[in-house]
Amino acid sequence: MTKKLTIPLLAALLLMLALSSCSGSRLQASGWPGITADDETAYIAFSTQVYAINLENGTERWRFPAVMEKNSKVTFYAAPQITDDGQVIVGGYNNILYSLDAKTGQENWQFEGATDRYIGSTLIVNGKIFAPSADKNLYALNLSGRSIWASPFTAENENWAKPAAGPDCDCVYLASMDHSVYAINPRDGSTLWRSEPLGGASVGSPAVSEDGKTLYIGSFLNELVAINAADGKILWKFPTADWVWTSPVLDGDTLYFADIAGNFYAVDRNTQSQLWSLPTGSEIVGTPLLTDDGLYFTNQAGTLYAVTRDGATRWTKEFDQPLHSGPIAAGDLLLVATDKGDLTLYAFNAEGAQQWQFTTAEEK
Amino acid sequence: MWDAVISVFINILLIIYEFLGHNFGLAIIALTLIIRLLTYPLTAKQMKSTQAMQDLQQSKEWKEIQKKYKNDKEKLSQEQMRIYKEKGVSPFGSCLPTLIQFPIIIALYQSITRSLAVTPLQLLNLSKHISYGAALIPLNRQFLWMDLSQPERIYIAGFGFPLLAVLVAATSYLQTKMMTPVNPDSGDQSSQMNQMMSLYMPLFMGWLAYSFPSGLAIYFITSNLASIIQYALMGRLDWKNLLPKSMQK
Repeated sequence: MTKKLTIPLLAALLLMLALSSCSGSRLQASGWPGITADDETAYIAFSTQVYAINLENGTERWRFPAVMEKNSKVTFYAAPQITDDGQVIVGGYNNILYSLDAKTGQENWQFEGATDRYIGSTLIVNGKIFAPSADKNLYALNLSGRSIWASPFTAENENWAKPAAGPDCDCVYLASMDHSVYAINPRDGSTLWRSEPLGGASVGSPAVSEDGKTLYIGSFLNELVAINAADGKILWKFPTADWVWTSPVLDGDTLYFADIAGNFYAVDRNTQSQLWSLPTGSEIVGTPLLTDDGLYFTNQAGTLYAVTRDGATRWTKEFDQPLHSGPIAAGDLLLVATDKGDLTLYAFNAEGAQQWQFTTAEEK
Repeated sequence: MWDAVISVFINILLIIYEFLGHNFGLAIIALTLIIRLLTYPLTAKQMKSTQAMQDLQQSKEWKEIQKKYKNDKEKLSQEQMRIYKEKGVSPFGSCLPTLIQFPIIIALYQSITRSLAVTPLQLLNLSKHISYGAALIPLNRQFLWMDLSQPERIYIAGFGFPLLAVLVAATSYLQTKMMTPVNPDSGDQSSQMNQMMSLYMPLFMGWLAYSFPSGLAIYFITSNLASIIQYALMGRLDWKNLLPKSMQK
């Protein structure tokens, strides 16, 4: 090879390697906004900060951390959860679970027991915090951040899903990426049962029937699965076109859920028959929202859908950015967040009229 | 189009992963070896061209025209092209196989990094490539002492030692040194260029292994060792190149 060609070829190699997909010291932390709201405030975890937004006018109340440390690598994507005593509980990709004052954003305490990221949100029930971690554990804490179990519950693979509570049983349900759903004793973290193998990973929360007898969960095996809540046995499966990432929503006898091929389904849980489906052509990963007005869901192509319970489209809104997070109800408002570059949170009314928007800005 | 290529690599990686008992480290090694075997004809052709070029550049005729036209770049270039043509040597012969292999190398590299999805967005992006093996998700990222999705470190007394980065740099250096013939005229620019390559390239590869997921380092080490073995089997390996210049003669 001539020396004239060596340098360009070397440069080409360096450039190609530098431009190729991976970014740096660890595979780049990345996710979409996690959103929660109470009567007055929306709380959003995205990238390096947690924001509290005034629902009245979309202005920022606070952000955490208030001051970014240089070279800080902490990121937040799991939707914050709110306790009855005014704490905002949010887990970070730095393996730390934070409690923040809901009014001021000041840190109350930290829990540093996890050894991997918090990707799923915590469940807060009966004064206890159940925090699923990618280190395969489910941690149980009191409202002061202290562990209440002798040792955490451990699955066989990462936990990305928010746990669910059983309405009648004293148990916590956890869908794990080890292809199982677990029923766990909230007092001591012991396993009440482990489901039959689903065959695919689950990252959504199980939906629990009103009578507490059945769980519904989607899996990466292109199925929605119904599980007996008493013993974990699989009752039936509904096939989908692709992975089911969303948590299903149960409304009476109708299950609403979607797959990442962009199909939104309504299925009768008694007959397991499809009532209707709406193809959108783009990934749906956010949990749909069910209100008195109907259903709302988003897809990766950036479309927000409002549909009736019968599957008729009421209205749609197009955004030029992906919508991975599902919509959230906050009083009369409907909140959605786009997630490319800066975060933008939009508030709409039930008819789709925008009320305000909030955008993160680097200069703030 | 490029995504389709990545998808093929990812699905092959998953098939191998399943076959090898859900061991992603072994799957990376196996796919790298398969790729090296399939590109062997290109490697052999490249070697042949490189050798022909080096023989030509050592010839009396070549050195004469270097001397004769050292102050006339245009004429020198013309004479060089004339000699290439007469001897049937292509100046690109040793480069084109490398260029053809680049996309394969990049595809393999990207398929490894994309398969090691550790966040929701990465996993969602991976889902677009998978037509086989959704039941295998999430992949087992543990291989020996490593999490393949993270840069490798061995912790000794609190200090993280990048063993794989050192091995990548060392095998890259060995590969370059053993396969690059020594030029008796050490003042020659191409010899100096080769010396620079043999130093900076391993350092660069070591830096990549230090910074990027250890799955990539596994690929680099396997690829380097496979190259060395291939060259040895072709009888092209010169262990003397490892010795200091004074001991090589």
